[in-house]
Amino acid sequence: MRPSPRRITVPALLALILLLAACGAQDAASPSAAASEASGDGGTDESQPASGGGTVSIGFEGDIASLDPSQGYDYISWPAERLIFETLVTYGGSTELVPQLSTEMPTVSDDGLTYTFALHEGVSFVMPDGTVHREMTADDVVFSLNRLLSPNLTPAPSPVAGAFYTLIEGGQAVVDGEADEATGLVAVDDYTVEITITNPDLTFLNILAMPFASVVPADLATDDTEAFSETPVGTGPYLLESRTIGESATFVLNPHYWGDPPANAGVEFRVGIDANTAVQQVEANQLDIMGDPIPSGMVTSLRDNPDYDDRIFVFQQVAVTYLSMDTTPPDDGPLGNVLVRQAMNHAIDKDNILQLLRGRGTVAHCIFPTELPGFNPDCMPYDYDPDRAQELMDEAGVDGFSTTLYTDPSEDSSAIAQAIQQDLAVIGIEIEIVTQEFDVLLGTITTPHEAPLVLIGWFQDFPDPSDFYDPILSCATAVEGGANVSWYCNEDNDALAAEAKGLQDVDQRLAMYQELEQRVMEDAPWVPIYFPATDTFISDRLTNFDPHPVWFVDLAKYGVSG
Amino acid sequence: MARDVVPTTATLPFGADPEDEVGVDLASASSRVWRQLRGDPSFWIGAVVVGALIMLAAGANVLAPYDPNFAIRGAGLTATGDPVGPSAEFWLGTDRLGRDYWSRLLHGARTSLTVGIGANLVATLVGTLIGSVAAFAGTIVLGRGRTRIALPVETLLMRFTDVVLSLPALLLAIALVAISGPNLFLVTVVIGGLLWTATARVVYGRMRLLRELEFVAAARALGASSFRILWRHVLPHVVSLIVVYATLGIAAAVLFEAGLSFLGVGVPPPAASWGVMISEHASYYRTDPRLLVLPGAAIMLTVLAFNLLGDSLRDAIDPHGWR
Repeated sequence: MRPSPRRITVPALLALILLLAACGAQDAASPSAAASEASGDGGTDESQPASGGGTVSIGFEGDIASLDPSQGYDYISWPAERLIFETLVTYGGSTELVPQLSTEMPTVSDDGLTYTFALHEGVSFVMPDGTVHREMTADDVVFSLNRLLSPNLTPAPSPVAGAFYTLIEGGQAVVDGEADEATGLVAVDDYTVEITITNPDLTFLNILAMPFASVVPADLATDDTEAFSETPVGTGPYLLESRTIGESATFVLNPHYWGDPPANAGVEFRVGIDANTAVQQVEANQLDIMGDPIPSGMVTSLRDNPDYDDRIFVFQQVAVTYLSMDTTPPDDGPLGNVLVRQAMNHAIDKDNILQLLRGRGTVAHCIFPTELPGFNPDCMPYDYDPDRAQELMDEAGVDGFSTTLYTDPSEDSSAIAQAIQQDLAVIGIEIEIVTQEFDVLLGTITTPHEAPLVLIGWFQDFPDPSDFYDPILSCATAVEGGANVSWYCNEDNDALAAEAKGLQDVDQRLAMYQELEQRVMEDAPWVPIYFPATDTFISDRLTNFDPHPVWFVDLAKYGVSG
Repeated sequence: MARDVVPTTATLPFGADPEDEVGVDLASASSRVWRQLRGDPSFWIGAVVVGALIMLAAGANVLAPYDPNFAIRGAGLTATGDPVGPSAEFWLGTDRLGRDYWSRLLHGARTSLTVGIGANLVATLVGTLIGSVAAFAGTIVLGRGRTRIALPVETLLMRFTDVVLSLPALLLAIALVAISGPNLFLVTVVIGGLLWTATARVVYGRMRLLRELEFVAAARALGASSFRILWRHVLPHVVSLIVVYATLGIAAAVLFEAGLSFLGVGVPPPAASWGVMISEHASYYRTDPRLLVLPGAAIMLTVLAFNLLGDSLRDAIDPHGWR
């Protein structure tokens, strides 16, 4: 996805405590009242849709950034967008792609460049008030992808237009403002779309499954993304009923939905709820799902409670948290020396860090996470060995030095940073820890050579190893504003990555990526720390809950009982 | 309101020092103060606790059984990664990283008291200076003839105080610290730079009363300069107030530092401060309340002790009963 913290920011916490007095009272009143009405008085059941059940609620500390699919790029906006919008293809219950708005998986031309999608007929765009706007056609699909590439969106173009979708033929010209429409996007007839890409790339369908590629109505989705976020119109199973910024967003069933109806009667996002409060509300069945992880201080007590055995879920994410090192420091500093970086890889006790995190994750030895195709269990170049670390420091002729580590102020990040601080002190590296709010931190670490050490995570956009090399370790992204915060650039590796990306044979392709991974680790731009798992806590009344390997929550699938 | 200052550098006739006649007899005043304090139990409680806290903080290096910033990886955490409770090995248990909590409390006392006392030194100096200058400078007239400029120092300084008083102190402190990155010195100066307003207003108010009194007029009639009147005649009457405000302000500064640290803009990690310790363990309020109660109690005790001390000093020092 993008570098992402585990969002338990302390500064936000205090402000939220103030908000909570109001929220708490309201939470108690609305959904539980609705639930008791439904169960207590049999007559109301008829007013519920056939799928039955009540409203599923999910709580987050942060708010939905945007409901415009061209904009939202975080773990709160995506599940909300997916209620309203749909894509040509999507993920079923696993990481395998299945058709959604497309009737079947597309046919691909022999050269791997042209994808032809046949669309479902009778799919309607439905307004938030429940009236049918009109039928969706191939023109809307073409329009949506062109809009995503457009530099004219306000207040800002899509954050990923230039990153993923320029693969579409003519896409770069649209991003650069030289054309209004990409030549590679063609509506053959009302129900057929043909998309041509510039290079064969197996990940293109994954890219089309990201919520960015959602289909929006050509006549309603203007360049003003804030306006469209307020009145989102899509083809999905839900409609936005109401939204109060900083408080909640309520989604009700789309009465004209073309597909299978969801398992519940609606979804409510409750935002501005800090994780400690969310635990209490879930315990009291006032909230159904914690959107944020369980605060570390509560993990053991909740796990030890036998009543909660089937209410706590741990979910291995396709993500890696790592200590990035500035491989090309401008002052010829010690971090530029590969031996020093290898020493740091040997010096950090990752088992200890996992213990601090209550085992929520897997120790990382290399780059590709355990759940990613291409994960290599044998990739283990550096074990925890402080003596070897000291030898490497001696070999490098570095006596020890002081440097600065930047990270976000979340509970987990600060714990990990202090553990690293203690480990590196053993080999003479003194670290000053600077914590910055996540948005500020992103600015700092993407400024060339501003941050010598960075503790940060990378979450997948789609399950393919290219997403763990191209955006964060390639020369092209070692630029101002890029996510390669190690400023690592090895052109041989880039050439290998380009070759791997174009391969159509899956096994050969993954083998090549594993070789790439080994090579990168020899240069040691990172100390991989761990592959994070997140956990969640659900209410007693929630049914069918099952963490999704890509989406984490798949809200349409869950029902509520009683 | 604005008054012209009588410009004079004249010394007194016969070489006499006016203070000999009209100054405050500090020696007899202090023995009277001591007599009153001796019988005041709240003074003793406050003094003993404050004394003990200062000694604990000063001796933290010796008294702390462990390095407060060193996580004890094996014994310091349970197998599930939770802090361990009090034991013979760790008197008050360990924190979330496995660091000895007693050692961290001691070193936290050092941080909190350094900030508390340091910030108050800043606040008291600035506040007294601004308050007394405002009360005695009045309007200063610069130049002469047609180029005369009347500079209303009194009004300017006190309105400036009002402006600082109206700033949202916590937000401003967060902004200042966020810009430059947290460190102990900066936190101290920022807190001091925001707390001086109360002292300034109180000193100013008391001095305006005093400057109208006969002994000031007498000193002026004898040719004493404004500075001399301020320093030798008026200030001794205000010292009691300043001392009281300084003591009470320490409590405020300790709380302020705790607040900043709780919000993540206090002292940088891994340094301990009571506010940091509370903030770090916010999610343990139900599972291990010890982690929040201990630093919270330390803050409470400190604030209470300084308040008791300040109150009893105020009662004892102020012979005129001016409140």
